[in-house]
Amino acid sequence: METVINKTVLYAYFSGTVTPVQKKLIETWLAETENRAQYYQWLHEWELAHLQTAPDWQPAFSRIETRLNTPFRVIQPDEEPTRTNWFWRRDYAWIVAASLTLLLGGWLFVDVIRYETVQTGFGETRALTLPDGSTVTLNANSSVRFNRFGFGTQLPNYLSAIQPSRRVYLTGEADFRVRHLPNHQHFVVLTPKGLNVTVLGTEFTVLGRARKTQVALRSGKVELTLAQKSEQPPLTMQPGDVVVLEPTGQFARRRIRNPEAVAAWKNHRFTLSKPLSARLPPCSKKTTVCVSPLHHPNWPPARFPARFRPITPTTY
Amino acid sequence: MNTTRIRPIPKQDADLYPTPHSDRPALVVDNEQFVRTAFAQSPDEGFKGLFRLYYKPLCSHTLRFVYRQDVAEDIVSEVFYQFWKSGGYASIQNTYRAYLYAAVRHRAYNYLRDELTGPRAPLPLDAVMLTTADESPQTIIEYDETVQRIEKIIHELPTQCQRVFLMSRFECQKNQEIAEELGLSLKTIEAHISRALRQLRQIFLFNLLFGFVAAQGMQAGACLYL
Repeated sequence: METVINKTVLYAYFSGTVTPVQKKLIETWLAETENRAQYYQWLHEWELAHLQTAPDWQPAFSRIETRLNTPFRVIQPDEEPTRTNWFWRRDYAWIVAASLTLLLGGWLFVDVIRYETVQTGFGETRALTLPDGSTVTLNANSSVRFNRFGFGTQLPNYLSAIQPSRRVYLTGEADFRVRHLPNHQHFVVLTPKGLNVTVLGTEFTVLGRARKTQVALRSGKVELTLAQKSEQPPLTMQPGDVVVLEPTGQFARRRIRNPEAVAAWKNHRFTLSKPLSARLPPCSKKTTVCVSPLHHPNWPPARFPARFRPITPTTY
Repeated sequence: MNTTRIRPIPKQDADLYPTPHSDRPALVVDNEQFVRTAFAQSPDEGFKGLFRLYYKPLCSHTLRFVYRQDVAEDIVSEVFYQFWKSGGYASIQNTYRAYLYAAVRHRAYNYLRDELTGPRAPLPLDAVMLTTADESPQTIIEYDETVQRIEKIIHELPTQCQRVFLMSRFECQKNQEIAEELGLSLKTIEAHISRALRQLRQIFLFNLLFGFVAAQGMQAGACLYL
């Protein structure tokens, strides 16, 4: 093996003109410690034959001599800055890590910080007063979300036209009693299906669940718009109107005689407009009210529309 | 065969010693018998002889890594200084040449790597005093390949870029001076230099990827986490 490696091969190697196989052979050859001396000798010779610079050794040598004669001059101050440098770099890493965590946390919890959310569970209703004095009654399995800061503050006209500060995101069903503010600020209810209810001050009920989106107006005036662009023009409701958002994205308006009935759940009542039939949906966790199709022989025959009080009022 | 010519060195006969102006530079090459005898007589003289013999080729070799005259000379001087100061010359088993070349290459490589990929934790001082026995064949090959890659990269740079790079580094000119000399804008000069450096950086990123010199990496790693 050794016979393959000679000065010519190594010279070619230093000049970068050997084959990978030759390089591998050189590597094997270098594994022998005694060959290292040979290697460096040839490297030295090659370097002398291919000098790139010819610095004067005398000044460099006298510099080293002076350095050697003044001991510890360089070593000592050299030690310190590297240490502080290293220390600072470490500190810096901590600062970066902390601020990154803070940023990420802020980004993840921006909704929690910005909005206040009120939620009701199964079979629970809750009344709450918004910062502007309006009251919201939440039906079961519903939630409202509104700005924690600056709800109802006066914004410049051009801004409040686009995004009024009185904004409530509703999922589920809720009854609103909106205060008319002196500065005529709009109040907007946003539902998951993209139906927005814009009002000044009035009483109405909004249902915004996955199965149905519906608005019932008791008094005053509300305007319905859709968040997405659609051919459906904005609709102004009159008291007693009930508007359902069709799956096609159109409004279906009808009039009812007793709009109060739509919000009967507020007083823990519910209304059946016609007799329950076998089409009754099965009880599930999703439904707010669970009706059992039992009939007691002693009960008087019901007249419709009939109002019921839940059998177990304690759950309310 | 050369020993007859070189032996008078301890007697400080500089004329007989093959100087840079020697007509046959190959004559300088020899086993280091005469340096050993000089060291045996007086370490000071031996050291001086060593310096005289190797300073120039070592600088030239270092230049292949760092491409900067001043840095190359600093590195070589520093190796000599440590070599003398730590008394390493007394414990050389192999040749002085092997030690000096290995140390200089090691330093030059680390210098360039740190310059291009950011500083690392400083190595403990004893790590600087490496002996040739510590060097694996892979390390030697890696250093040689690095030299060749650097050369190739600089070779393949566009002419103007290469010119600017060499003026900036090898000739240590200021960017403003180069700009005036070549009649280019300062921005162009900076772009040329950063392009060259970016190309060179690839070498070390490649090495990092393949975990070059495990022992060295572990040493650096240990320092990092201490």
